[in-house]
Amino acid sequence: MTSQAQPHAEHFDAHGHKDHGHTIVSVATLRTVLALLLFFTLLTVGATLVEVWIADTFNVLIPQWVNVFVALSIAAVKTVIVVMFFMQLKYDNPLNTMIFVFTLLTVCFFLGFTVLDLGNRGTIDRFKEGHILRGGTGLGTGMPITQSSKIAAVTNQTYDEHLAHHAHHGPRLPITEAGYVSKVPLAGSSAQRSKPVQGITLEGLSVPAAQTEDEHGEGPAH
Amino acid sequence: MATIDLGKHGAHGSAPVNDDRPYHERYQAAHHFVDREHEFDAVKMGVWLFLSTEVLLFSGMFVAYAIFRMMYPDAFLSGSAHLDYRWGLLNTVVLLLSSYTVAAAVRHAQTGNQKWLQINIILTFIAGLIFLTIKGVFEYYKKYSEGLLPGKFYSYPYAENVPYEPLWWGIYWGATGIHASHVIVGMGLFAWLYVRSRKRHFGPGHYNAVEGVGLYWHIVDIVWIFLFPMLYLIH
Repeated sequence: MTSQAQPHAEHFDAHGHKDHGHTIVSVATLRTVLALLLFFTLLTVGATLVEVWIADTFNVLIPQWVNVFVALSIAAVKTVIVVMFFMQLKYDNPLNTMIFVFTLLTVCFFLGFTVLDLGNRGTIDRFKEGHILRGGTGLGTGMPITQSSKIAAVTNQTYDEHLAHHAHHGPRLPITEAGYVSKVPLAGSSAQRSKPVQGITLEGLSVPAAQTEDEHGEGPAH
Repeated sequence: MATIDLGKHGAHGSAPVNDDRPYHERYQAAHHFVDREHEFDAVKMGVWLFLSTEVLLFSGMFVAYAIFRMMYPDAFLSGSAHLDYRWGLLNTVVLLLSSYTVAAAVRHAQTGNQKWLQINIILTFIAGLIFLTIKGVFEYYKKYSEGLLPGKFYSYPYAENVPYEPLWWGIYWGATGIHASHVIVGMGLFAWLYVRSRKRHFGPGHYNAVEGVGLYWHIVDIVWIFLFPMLYLIH
């Protein structure tokens, strides 16, 4: 009984399902791909070394994104080569390529929105930037986080109520700068800086442990 | 590119009882497939779907990496400075070579070259072993003895006063650890492939397992292609 005798097989072939067999990638192609991959590996290391050398020799500060962009671009090229020739997507059913491409698209969404969020917190939410509460939510203070952080900002003298309301009297500032005393460094941690969280030690925002101890300490004196 | 004809041997139960042809020639596709070609395509798509879940698994770690690197770049710089990029480079080369041997193994299965199919499977297994040895002896063990461990286990005595460096070590150990566990699983699969190739299970007509394991190994390689610059080449 041959496949021709099976109606399913005929149906299959009629829809252009590959009946021409599988592609055997030639040895020359495989070796070229390997050579390219090794070359790009050395290139990514070389790019880093050159970047360090430039930064040291000419005493310039190269932003981090240059390093990340170069490294990820080279890695992406290597991935495309591996996927096309070693994993044979170039010769394969296009459906498999679709699966892989949509997966990568999903990963791009994950990374893209993460970077958009973290990268822009300082710009659009400047008010909260320097005053992330310990524990993160500000819950338990009995007020919204925006209000508690504003109180903290005023107390820490990084925010000027008067300037905020009368910014138009002074020098023109971008809206995100309004009300902030720019010379006072912002306290606490932020998405852009690696600093330990200072927390907020405002009275009324938290119950300091020391106070409770003092009350106990006064006890025996009575 | 040369092509091979798989033939349509989908007729079930038609093989003679005393068939002394090699396994890959007398292999019959499972009864719910039209023929071996049909089965091959289904297996391959199944593997690709699995690989996409693998990519999503690792993407979680890449996102965590992005978040913490943006929040604490100093911690990542000082943490990465503890790594020697030359070990990472060597391991990258080892994995790329193993990707080549896997691709060669698939090719030899397609052409029915049993001897070189087995040799390439062994070579890939050895490459995995070398990778894990370098990782374990020269990196994991060293970092472990220095106390460069994630989270609360971090006990490096000469900390350069960079807060949140334990977070970096959490990312490092987490990402490379899950990757290394994939290498271990891959080596188990290659041991299985070797046993089957000794029994001449694979040939032009049937090499689904070689193809599937090969694809898995390539994805593990690709993950390392990204991990290498992200962990070792930060400055």
